[in-house]
Amino acid sequence: MSHLRLYTGIFAALAAFATAQVFVEQAGGLPYWTAFWVIIALSLVKAVLVAWYFQHLKWEPRSVSATIFTGLLAAIALTAAAAYSIL
Amino acid sequence: MTDETSDPRTDGGERVRESRRGAKRTDGGTAAAGHETDHHHGLPAPSSIKRWLVTTNHKDVGILYTVTALFFLVFGGVLALLMRVQLWTPGATILEPLQYNQAVSAHGLIMIFWFLSPFAFGFANYVVPLQIGAKDLAFPRLNALSYWLYLFSGILFGVSFFQGGTFAGGWTMYAPLNLPVYTPNIGASTAVLALLLFVVSVTVSSVNFLTTMHRMRAEGLTLRRMPLFTWTILLTTWMMLFAFAALLAALMILSADRLIGTQYFAATGHAGSLLWAHLFWFFGHPEVYIVFFPALGVMAECFQTFTGKRIVGRKWFIAAMVLVALQSFLVWMHHMFLTSINLEIKTLFMATTIGISLPFDLMVFALVYTMLKGRVRFTTPFLFSFGALVLFILGGITGVFLGAVVLDYEFRGTYWVVAHFHYVMVGGITALVGGLYYWYPKMTGKMYDKFLGKLHFAMYFVGFNLLYFPMFVAWETPRRDFVYPEIYTTWHQLSTVGAFLLGASFLVMFYNLWVSLSTGEDASDNPWQFSTTTEWAIPSPPPLENFPGKPSFSSGSLEFLPDGSDAGDIEPAGPGGREPAATDGGEATTDGGEAATDGSETDADDGEDDDDGKLVTDGGRVMTDGGQPMTDDEQVVADDGTAGAADANAGVADEKATDGGTVTVYDEHAADDEEHGEDHASIWPFRIGLTSFLFLVGLSGLRQGSFPEGLEGGAYLGLTVVAGVGLLWALVGMGREEFHGLEGPFGESWPFTGINNTKLGVWIFLASDVVLFGAFVGSYAFIRVAEGWQNNWHHLIPADHVVLPGLINTYLLLTSSFTVVLALVACEKRSKWGLIGSLATTLVLGIAFLINKAMEWQHLFHVHSEAFPNGWNIGTNVASSTFYLTTGLHALHVIAGLVITLYLIARAWNGAYLDDDQPVELFGLYWHFVDIVWLFLFPLFYIL
Repeated sequence: MSHLRLYTGIFAALAAFATAQVFVEQAGGLPYWTAFWVIIALSLVKAVLVAWYFQHLKWEPRSVSATIFTGLLAAIALTAAAAYSIL
Repeated sequence: MTDETSDPRTDGGERVRESRRGAKRTDGGTAAAGHETDHHHGLPAPSSIKRWLVTTNHKDVGILYTVTALFFLVFGGVLALLMRVQLWTPGATILEPLQYNQAVSAHGLIMIFWFLSPFAFGFANYVVPLQIGAKDLAFPRLNALSYWLYLFSGILFGVSFFQGGTFAGGWTMYAPLNLPVYTPNIGASTAVLALLLFVVSVTVSSVNFLTTMHRMRAEGLTLRRMPLFTWTILLTTWMMLFAFAALLAALMILSADRLIGTQYFAATGHAGSLLWAHLFWFFGHPEVYIVFFPALGVMAECFQTFTGKRIVGRKWFIAAMVLVALQSFLVWMHHMFLTSINLEIKTLFMATTIGISLPFDLMVFALVYTMLKGRVRFTTPFLFSFGALVLFILGGITGVFLGAVVLDYEFRGTYWVVAHFHYVMVGGITALVGGLYYWYPKMTGKMYDKFLGKLHFAMYFVGFNLLYFPMFVAWETPRRDFVYPEIYTTWHQLSTVGAFLLGASFLVMFYNLWVSLSTGEDASDNPWQFSTTTEWAIPSPPPLENFPGKPSFSSGSLEFLPDGSDAGDIEPAGPGGREPAATDGGEATTDGGEAATDGSETDADDGEDDDDGKLVTDGGRVMTDGGQPMTDDEQVVADDGTAGAADANAGVADEKATDGGTVTVYDEHAADDEEHGEDHASIWPFRIGLTSFLFLVGLSGLRQGSFPEGLEGGAYLGLTVVAGVGLLWALVGMGREEFHGLEGPFGESWPFTGINNTKLGVWIFLASDVVLFGAFVGSYAFIRVAEGWQNNWHHLIPADHVVLPGLINTYLLLTSSFTVVLALVACEKRSKWGLIGSLATTLVLGIAFLINKAMEWQHLFHVHSEAFPNGWNIGTNVASSTFYLTTGLHALHVIAGLVITLYLIARAWNGAYLDDDQPVELFGLYWHFVDIVWLFLFPLFYIL
């Protein structure tokens, strides 16, 4: 039951963060790139919450997290280096 | 199944009939261990064609890979000879210009994709499970599926020649040459789709091998002790998992550009062509090592076996390979020095490229020192391995030139590059050919003709250097062109002569291997005096389920235990056993039997099994890490002729005699044959391969989102629909089939202990999917940066493209993720209706997500504004293309998830999952991943 409460709380947080992302953009009070990083950070937090609790990564061997993280790192390396190469 | 259709061996060798307990005698040590009938797994005899259509056994699949790869070697080789004939004189036109371009492109694609890696994976399939002490791969049907997808992808590529001509833009498929405006043939699209299907095969294979090698090693076989060939395959498959995912993204985008009219690679400015180069080479450079590492593994095995010496600096050798595998993802832009990327990034990648040569230096020195410290036996496998080392050194040194920006400005696009990468790539092939000779006796139970083997090497090595070395001299010849300065004519003619000599050498090989198959000497279980890995401890060819018991290395040496026991249960047997085998390059000594006891004194100085059969089948020992020769006390004998661990179940032991002595083999299936025999046959992988092939043939007719008018278009459309339905039928059929694979617990599983094979397989697949979606998102980011991230980009998007549909879909997906969590909770509570209700809610939410998306798309298709008078369609501009394709790929994942949900609901209705909730959990892993992807697509495509 405690897990169910935890899952419910996380679901509520995810919905709230999604709303917050739109709010950050619509409110218009922040410079573009500040808002950009806030919105991306919120996405990252949401992704980690889903992976950690809904996908049970928290309870799996750390090597599984490392495998996924390696894939993520490869994708970020490709994106960042490719984008930088034409700046 | 009757005895008429069953055979205990996977291939070759003499068939032996006997009762379960009967003694059997063969002439050459080719007897199968136990388990003479295979009636419970439905596998026909090797002489039956059906056997090869349904088999899922790793050894059969290994043979299929090997034979098919050799076919593609001939295919690609003939194309190469055509090119060399064309190059006899400058500007000759034996082939029309476009035909020459097709030959060049197809040669490269076939050799790299359909020959080289699959050839290595023939050995990997056959040998890796044996080396790690596994009965099969973790997912045998997926292994068969990998093969059939590979074969049919190759056939699909062949079909492309008959659809107006195949792809003619070079094996690198650079943009914009890869677009229909430059390569308009349907065959060019088919070639792209063929490569795409091949990549799917590779991905399935990577997941399978990684799960197997990490989870299913025998007791005591730690990663540190793992044989070097298996080490190279492990690193290769890790690289494959991530590198091919990037290529998959590139090919999916290219297919979309060609078939439905997206605008990625047609993007104006430099974005399109540079994007392809980034995606392709992010895959392409690791691919060099993906191709070369297995060859390195063969070299390491052969150097150890034929010098009788453990490889010098073994742990540093492994560390160097790990370093190369990591670095391989950080050097790709050295293939782009002549593009418009900035100087800072060129300099950085020049440094990483030069840096990657350092670990290779270490590996080369390790091999050289191993040779110097050991006593070389010049067998055919060693000759090829040594030849490969020489060629690779030359290929490596000439490659360093290309890693330097300034030199690359001069060499790029010339025959220097052609010569360099052939010395590397075909250098790798050289080692793999050595691997073919090395494992041929194990795979067939027959020994090849040694003289012809050495003749092959002599012709090969001379032909190779005659073919490729003149290219260094004539380096100013433009690459991919048959017009060149006349001053180089002589060099090119030498090359052509070399090409034919190289080709002829393979005729010698084919003749040798073919004739030896039927008339060759029987090979003993271990024809090599100092071989040290596990595959040499079992019969040649091995029995269907490989081992006479459960392999274990816990005691520091190989032993075969009765199933269900562990190492502590069995006392080691005394000396006098028969198989020398260690898990990696041990400094083996032989022992017992008729074998000589020291390599320098043996009757087979070349290390090969002597014809009189005196050597090798007996004696020797089994080691785990090969660090030191074992003492007799340490040796544990599996199938000792008199007594031993395997005799623990004496009542079910078979006795068989070989030339090398009597061997007793524990029959692991005798006691409980029917209870837990694994299946080895399924027709569904073949059907999926066939229907995938037909589906893609149909799809190749698409152009700009529609099929051509008339009979031809109707045929393509009809084939697409029929084959698409057939593919779905085959996928469901495979999902519904009862198939008993291998079940744990297995031995060593670090670093993935505490997670079962299936779940690990799903996670590894998801890691690959991370790179796939990452490459899509990266492509979007790259194009947006190129176009101008903020202002210019927003001008490409209509005002009607608003946040709300995306936000609604975010809520829907997040909620559906939560309901999947609730489904799992319901399983734990054994609540059938809770489970069905949660899954049904997930289904409804997923459908709502798709409906919302369809409505949004429909609206955007029909917007009317000054900037977008004809709507905002998939091909309107690069912004619309990235939006529709990326979110569309995500929607396809949602649809696939909903199909699985329907299946789960149907089964839950019948009471499933209350006792075993793993299928629901695995579905959850996938569904949450789809959710996570959307969490990034939403801000990128709707907010920012």
